[in-house]
Amino acid sequence: MAAPTGNNPNPNTINSPFRQKRNQPKKRTNPLKKSRMIDYLDPKFLGRFTNDQGKILPRRITGVTALQQRRLCSAIKYARHLALLPFVAQDTR
Amino acid sequence: MSIRRLYESTFIINAALEDSEVDEVVKRVTDYIEEHGGSFVELNKWGRRRLAYPIKKKYNGFYVYAAFEAPANSIPLLERFMILEDNVLRHLTMQLDPKLREFRKMRAEAQALRAAQMAAEANKPVSTPASAEASN
Repeated sequence: MAAPTGNNPNPNTINSPFRQKRNQPKKRTNPLKKSRMIDYLDPKFLGRFTNDQGKILPRRITGVTALQQRRLCSAIKYARHLALLPFVAQDTR
Repeated sequence: MSIRRLYESTFIINAALEDSEVDEVVKRVTDYIEEHGGSFVELNKWGRRRLAYPIKKKYNGFYVYAAFEAPANSIPLLERFMILEDNVLRHLTMQLDPKLREFRKMRAEAQALRAAQMAAEANKPVSTPASAEASN
């Protein structure tokens, strides 16, 4: 009988049409335009797609298209080669 | 005769050098490109920047960006030259996509516009109270 929603203090939210079903993932929105060019010399832009350790975020989280993610990935790697982005952040200081 | 293509090359020069020495290194690289049939489209010195991680125990580097048209068979020679040049810490040569070039141009323009607007806004509050005081 232990309903997972039993602890919810507000009963309105339980039957709300906006409430998400349990296993339904949140709808992704693409943060970039479809035709957005990806520039490997722009560390500020590329930094948005890495976590605070400097790792590349997965597409699951970034929400960009497959092609963009592939380009982002290689762009970040080029930027790392040129020391514009760190391989491992928060390491040197 | 091989095909001429548009390339872009970014390299990092040891920033511990004096400005004149840095210029000398840049000149050596650019001369090398021109000797091998390259012609420059753009040469941009970004200046000294902090590196994201130390390279050869150096924390700062002098970045130079060059876009040039060159025969394809000169690129391996250029790569070799960059490796042998001790004062070039890193280099990356890529084929330049004209779309990317256009995109960068547009972005630079947009940024300049925004900077101009910011400057105008920053000047406004300074000028308006002064003018208000003057009218009072």
